[in-house]
Amino acid sequence: MDRRTFLKTGVALAAVGAVAKPYIARAQASGPIKIGMMAPLTGVVAAGGREMVDGFNMYWDEHGGEMAGRKVEIIVEDDGANPDMALQKARRLVEQAGVSMLFGNLLANTGLAVANYVKGNGMPYFIPIIAADDLTQRNRIKNVVRVAGYTGSQFPRPLADWCLKQGYKKAATISQDYTFGQEQCGGFCQTFTEGGGQIVSQFWHPLNTSDFSPYLGQLANLGVDVIFAMETGADATRFMQQYSNFGLKGQIPLVGAMNMTDQSVIRTMGSEAEGIIVAAHFAEGSPDPVTQKFVAAHVKKFNKLPSLYGFSMYSGAMWVDEAAKTIKGNVEDRDTLLSAVSKTELTGSPLGQTVKLDAFGNPIYDVHIRKVVKNADGKLWNAPIATYPQVSQFWKYNPETYMKQPPYSRDFQGIKKS
Amino acid sequence: MSTDAMPRLALAAVLLGALAFALVPLILPTYQVSILTEVLIYAVLAMSVDVLAGYTGRTPLCLGAVFGVSTYVTVYYSSTFGGSPYVGMALGVLAATVIAALFALLAIRTSGVYFLLLTLALGMIVWGICLRWTSITGGENGIRGNVRPAELAAHLPFYYVVFVAVAVVTFVMWRFVHSPFGLTLRGIRDSESRMRALGYNVSLHMFIAFTVAGLFSGIAGALYAMFNDFVSPSTVALTQSVEGLLMAITGGIGTLFGSFIGALAIIGLENAVSLYTERWQTVLGVAFIVIMIFAPEGILGGIKTLLARKRG
Amino acid sequence: MDLSVTDFLALDAVTVQFGALRAVDEVSLRVRKGERRAIIGPNGAGKTTLFNAITGVVRATTGKVLFEGADVTRTAIHERARRGMSRTFQITNLFPNLTVAENMRLALRGLSPRKFSLLGSPALNSEEAGRADRALEVSRLGARRDSRVKEMSYGEQRQLEMAMALAAQPRLLLLDEPAAGLSPSERVIVSDIIRALPRDLTLVLIEHDMDLVLSLVDYVTVLNNGKLLVEAPPAEIRLNKDVQDVYLGKARHHA
Repeated sequence: MDRRTFLKTGVALAAVGAVAKPYIARAQASGPIKIGMMAPLTGVVAAGGREMVDGFNMYWDEHGGEMAGRKVEIIVEDDGANPDMALQKARRLVEQAGVSMLFGNLLANTGLAVANYVKGNGMPYFIPIIAADDLTQRNRIKNVVRVAGYTGSQFPRPLADWCLKQGYKKAATISQDYTFGQEQCGGFCQTFTEGGGQIVSQFWHPLNTSDFSPYLGQLANLGVDVIFAMETGADATRFMQQYSNFGLKGQIPLVGAMNMTDQSVIRTMGSEAEGIIVAAHFAEGSPDPVTQKFVAAHVKKFNKLPSLYGFSMYSGAMWVDEAAKTIKGNVEDRDTLLSAVSKTELTGSPLGQTVKLDAFGNPIYDVHIRKVVKNADGKLWNAPIATYPQVSQFWKYNPETYMKQPPYSRDFQGIKKS
Repeated sequence: MSTDAMPRLALAAVLLGALAFALVPLILPTYQVSILTEVLIYAVLAMSVDVLAGYTGRTPLCLGAVFGVSTYVTVYYSSTFGGSPYVGMALGVLAATVIAALFALLAIRTSGVYFLLLTLALGMIVWGICLRWTSITGGENGIRGNVRPAELAAHLPFYYVVFVAVAVVTFVMWRFVHSPFGLTLRGIRDSESRMRALGYNVSLHMFIAFTVAGLFSGIAGALYAMFNDFVSPSTVALTQSVEGLLMAITGGIGTLFGSFIGALAIIGLENAVSLYTERWQTVLGVAFIVIMIFAPEGILGGIKTLLARKRG
Repeated sequence: MDLSVTDFLALDAVTVQFGALRAVDEVSLRVRKGERRAIIGPNGAGKTTLFNAITGVVRATTGKVLFEGADVTRTAIHERARRGMSRTFQITNLFPNLTVAENMRLALRGLSPRKFSLLGSPALNSEEAGRADRALEVSRLGARRDSRVKEMSYGEQRQLEMAMALAAQPRLLLLDEPAAGLSPSERVIVSDIIRALPRDLTLVLIEHDMDLVLSLVDYVTVLNNGKLLVEAPPAEIRLNKDVQDVYLGKARHHA
């Protein structure tokens, strides 16, 4: 399981690789199942990467280190939050270590790079964290499946609908200036304006903005009913703190992308995060017993509430494990594995709901509108306050017509002119 | 010892190295073949850095970006535009050369740390454009390519195509640095004022050298497009330029062939060390410091000095 | 001063101003073809600045520089070199990491289109090789072709300076203190080399060593505080009272 063991096996494999390929192929089918797991363990998002590995390992530890009765051997690789490196590591896992499937990656660009690589060789690639819309839309790759993941624009749509129902008519958005942010804002803006709302202004700031006051000053004077914020990591912490310090908290309701109030962010925060509302497939504060069982186990094991990263990798592992059981662990047959995964409905996951994949390999969820509140231990968590059933990545649109509109970008936010 | 003709020992070493690069892939597993392909491509980038840093005495921090421009153009032309990958590569090299010529116009009048900073800034502009011009470049998500033709999909045939291309490029670069023009570059490195007094238009020579270095970077970038079939801003990022420079320095500045040793050492080390520890970047940094302390002229430079001392 | 096109090199009221400092102050002089001229003066008199204005390293703030009748005041350094000006530097300005042969090659090719040969052979053609050999022989460096410059003695480096200036086959050779910092025996070599230069080569030299200068040149220009003080043949210079005051006097004090 650790890298050293992998190295020994890797070297041994490499040594005989050239001459004994048929033998290895046979040996794999009965030996352990090798899974390549990539996460950013260095670089700016390393903390999230570690939680990915923890969540993934937690699942296999709970299940005796076996998938469908066969031992699993997990080979963890650092993608360095860099697409070129992710690509190189994916090559190593597939071509040298001989894994049967790939899991992981955090940043969209790393996932897209790996996806393009597996497009050529058919290696099953599961992406519980990569949210790039087009991977399960316009540029779908058959062997890339978003088990237990979501697309960037999927959850802001029910959130926008919920905002309209609260009577909010005018909104502004602020977001980190990159594709993931543009997709989340696009989902929000399109649904909000199509439902009669108005987007007064949109702000895009560079990643790692330390001072939000220029944006907050403008946001305060727009006269909007609600602000949608899309922030991740340290930007999210700083934004929520400064939103509160600036006196906007309590003045203008703040809603946002689920990443902003993820445990990886709010775990270290105080009351400034309280009351913020986001939409997500998962809420660690859900009263559902299955969810609470997972949360308790996670707290016991890692002494912290589960984040999106840990939870998604855990559930993604479960999804593929369930699928593997239906084909008696014959995961080396890629077509069989992929079709089993697409047919599997995930039932016992911490989501506390039955989830299935749409025809494009992206899950359909009952989406929670969730609010940051203090739990019984005084810790902040996300508790559901409303639920939108069966939300697909295409919301209420027909997939074919939807995919004719351009992908979301700074220039195209799907805003309906009123 | 004259630097004109290649001494017999050096010639033997180069042929031996070429033979090793030609034969070793036959016994390597496919993954290592792909790593070796990357080594060859990056060696070309490092050699083009060496043309400026080693032969002209100007350390550029933008050739990684020039390399990446070629990659972007190649990938864009062959995937988004749907054209032939070979035409795409030619356009990529052309674009890199044009960008390098533009950069040259701005950078040739500076030297030392100003040259370093100016080229750094120029590289950052390319990176910024690739990041922000989402409609063309796909922003930080990059462009997924369709560059590699089906007949070259397997690692081994692709390796040999790259091998032949790099061999030709290396020979041309060797001729270039040892040409009468190449000598003028070494003259500029040693004394710009004397070169002017002798009747050389130093700016013009710098311009040509910079543009030629850009052309070679562009060739490396086009090959990289075919290798990776994918491009994102990390390909034009500063780290790319720094990596090229580190390879040239590790191998030995002003040795040209040292770039192969540097690329092999750095890419090899990256791959080997990252198997054992997440702190591989630290290990790499320490290794680099050790080389700089014990062989400041780089690996090949150090060997040359040792041999010269033995003889002298 | 009346400038005649027949003058080989002519300076017309050349002034070089660096901020508040007038390094060269309205200096006019004329050098005939084939003449050997010395420019002397105490430290800071503006000799090297005047050289720089002639060769184009600095531009004259006001005034004109005429070379073979053409106004070259605003002409670039390499262009003046192409017209036949060649100079050596007070502080040796060679290519230390290159060999003597390579230094010579650069000196020879400065004016040849072959310098733009991007992929050609580095070897000299027979005509170039002949010129290089002659210049090296004159400068007594024939045996040191393959030595790296940084490994040579200071005296040899000065000789190479001269060889390189000669290799370009200049019509005007400007020597900036060719004997500075040399031992007495090395000075003898340098003055022998200068004396043996072809007579049709016009020579302007800056030198501190009065004895060396006065034995080598036809005519002497004395500068003081950037201004032209005296112009006279060597014999008169020794006797000139102004010169003795500002230059020889001071020089003696220093010594």
